[in-house]
Amino acid sequence: MSAVLRADGLSKRFGGLKALDNVSLTLDEGRILGLIGPNGAGKSTCFSMLAGSTSPTAGRVFLGDREITGLPAFRAARGGVVRTHQIVRPFANLTIFENAVVAAVQCSGLDHAGARALARETLEFAGLAARRNEYPAGLTLAGRKRLEMARALACAPKVLLLDEVIAGVNPAEAQEMVTLILRIRDERKVSIIMTEHVMAAVMRLCERVVVLDAGKLIAAGEPKEIVQNPEVIAAYLGKKHA
Amino acid sequence: MDRFAELVIASVLLAGLYATMAYGLGLIYGVLRIVNLNHGGMIMAGAYAGWYLHSEYGIDPYLSLLPVAAVSFLLGIAMYRGLVHRLPRGAAGGVQSLLLLFGVWLVMRNVAYLLFTGNDQTLRTSYSTRAAVLAGALVSVNRVAVFAVALATLIILHILLTRTYLGKAIRAVAQNPDSCTLVGIRVERIYALTFGLGTALAAIAGLLGATLFPFNPSFGAGELLKSFVVVVLGGLGSVAGTAIAALILAAVEVFAILFIPAYLTAAVGFVLLVLVLVLRPGGLFGQRVLG
Amino acid sequence: MKLPLPPWVRPRALIALLATCAALALGPLLHSDVYIHNLLTLTFIGIAAALAWNWLGGYLGQVSFGHAAMFGLGGFVAAKAEISMGMPMVFAWCFGGVIAGLYALVWGHPTLRLRGPYFSIATIGVGEATRLVGTYWDWLTGGSSGTSLPMHPNLKFTLYWYALALAAVAMAASYALRRSSLGLALLAIKSDVDAASDVGVSSTRLQDLVLFLSGAMIGVCGASYGSYFSYIEPGDMFGFDRSISWVLMGVIGGIGTIAGPALGAIIFVLLRQYLIASYPQLYLGLYGILLVLVILFEPLGLTGLSLRVLRRARPDLIVSGSET
Repeated sequence: MSAVLRADGLSKRFGGLKALDNVSLTLDEGRILGLIGPNGAGKSTCFSMLAGSTSPTAGRVFLGDREITGLPAFRAARGGVVRTHQIVRPFANLTIFENAVVAAVQCSGLDHAGARALARETLEFAGLAARRNEYPAGLTLAGRKRLEMARALACAPKVLLLDEVIAGVNPAEAQEMVTLILRIRDERKVSIIMTEHVMAAVMRLCERVVVLDAGKLIAAGEPKEIVQNPEVIAAYLGKKHA
Repeated sequence: MDRFAELVIASVLLAGLYATMAYGLGLIYGVLRIVNLNHGGMIMAGAYAGWYLHSEYGIDPYLSLLPVAAVSFLLGIAMYRGLVHRLPRGAAGGVQSLLLLFGVWLVMRNVAYLLFTGNDQTLRTSYSTRAAVLAGALVSVNRVAVFAVALATLIILHILLTRTYLGKAIRAVAQNPDSCTLVGIRVERIYALTFGLGTALAAIAGLLGATLFPFNPSFGAGELLKSFVVVVLGGLGSVAGTAIAALILAAVEVFAILFIPAYLTAAVGFVLLVLVLVLRPGGLFGQRVLG
Repeated sequence: MKLPLPPWVRPRALIALLATCAALALGPLLHSDVYIHNLLTLTFIGIAAALAWNWLGGYLGQVSFGHAAMFGLGGFVAAKAEISMGMPMVFAWCFGGVIAGLYALVWGHPTLRLRGPYFSIATIGVGEATRLVGTYWDWLTGGSSGTSLPMHPNLKFTLYWYALALAAVAMAASYALRRSSLGLALLAIKSDVDAASDVGVSSTRLQDLVLFLSGAMIGVCGASYGSYFSYIEPGDMFGFDRSISWVLMGVIGGIGTIAGPALGAIIFVLLRQYLIASYPQLYLGLYGILLVLVILFEPLGLTGLSLRVLRRARPDLIVSGSET
């Protein structure tokens, strides 16, 4: 199993604060990796660096054999690493279809017609095709989260970074999201790293999980082991409960 | 050394005016998150109000200060209730509120032009040219008076914002308007009052400025920019921060005369503005929120 | 016959543009009213300038109150090139435009990091600072006495067609910038610049492109203005009032639309001519009121109003949403 995305010793300093300290992780091709940890552990910072929105103070990131450390976000996206946002950020002044088209045109390298076809296809995949000429404001939160994912998929990524896509929706919608994510992995052959607070989803989806606390990596392994790891429990609940 | 003392004193006196001027802009921005592009218009209006009352009725500008401030306050509330109120708050309304208030400024300019013609006017009183010796330097009595009034205004403002219920309500709304409704603060009312307050401060600064500089209906763009420099440099919220930023601006302007020709000193403020915005948008004190 | 047109060009639009240009180009053969002829020349320049302003202000959503800086720079550089270097007029215009475009890049690139109102305030600063420097930079602008350009016989008359070409180019560029995939990317940047980068849009580069194009076109307009009047002075060319005029044209005409600013320009130039005769200086107040009304009730200005009326009269003609 080859590693499609690899981070080596990622660190990030903001002034005097060390947000991330020597974090290394590997995403195998065709797998889903979970990135969990209590609030403030550095998950978003880690995500930002993998996707290119922020550049690391130290450490390197590899996409396959190619080093992508510090590549600006748009280059990372075109190279195949695309992220969604925790707080959804659709382009409010574009229709749902246009949201996907922008991504397809910029990332996929296809021509005008090809990009539009790809956009339409990803919207169908995400179940938004019927509403493609409406504006994102008309969607529910779950709909907008699916738009985030569809838009990211329209970039034809190799690696998809999902930032808390399941949090905040009702259980029925959450179930649909889980199914969608599995389909992304199985049908579209996209490798995924996801951060999530909804543990049930993490257990269901991730083959491997990596745990951050206060910027450091404290555990890595299968979900079943992680959940019983005393250090992980301590990180979430405090030392008393370990 | 005398020259140096002169320049220092000139800076301090000018800073008082700039601080008052800037505070009006900063207050509105800090609480409503709106850039009041009519700030220049109100400064101009205050100048004309003082000038008109003096030239038509012989009222001393320092006496007309209070009535002009009061009327401007009410005018500000009316502008808020009638116009600004209708816009969405926050980033969504950002450019729109800018343009709206810009439109109001254009109208005010035109009204002033129609009423008073476009000629430069000056507010000259019997004591305009009187000078006194202060710390070994010769200073204009008028400038000292302007400074005194500006200082008094800022002190009153500081007390208002820190010691009164209204002041605390204003600061609370600046930080978190939604929570405020939960504790019974009528946010819309605070917005209106703040807008009125900011407008009144601009008018006061305009009136004071009229005693120092010539003005015409196009007056105001430069003052708007200077206010902006002070607000961005000094951060929002602390009167102290505003005062220090005003001092820096005034000092740079005054001392620039030593290095560049007089006609370019106005450009100093503009260049400073662009530099400050690009390099330190968080202000010298890193504050963004009132309180 | 299949023309090699890009897929986003609607043949109807192209035909409309060409037909209008042809009609306007041939127009002077049908009438001999010099006053209207010259008025149209100024209108064409105004249209080109307003459209160029809109690329930054409407498409990218960054409202500039300081575009006169480029207008003046283009004008004076072109004049200088013509006078001191003997450059032929059109070359001088292009030269002025390029310099103006580069100037826009110099101050615009770092400033565009600021969003919304902060950027707009900065542009006031840029505009005013440029004006002050220009007023006293004798070598380039002639100081407050200004610069006189060589007067060629018949130039004012033939400028009509040059100005028409300018407006046509601006119109075509407006259409292209909006309807091509570039246009979609610009709208995405306008909506959320970081999210746009996250889906592959090279935001910084595109913003720089728009800055340059907008500045350059306005610079060329300044150059053509100079050729028209044969005399330019810094207070007028770099003036705040001039910068304001494009904001008004853009917003009242319809900010962000393709043709809105053109409509705004036409009305502005025509109204100004009328008002200057009877009520000078009144038009600023009038526009102020219009601006307030537009912001409060019809964000897309006259264009939006027309669409609304049209939609009610003939709902079948207006299709909202995009084609798939």
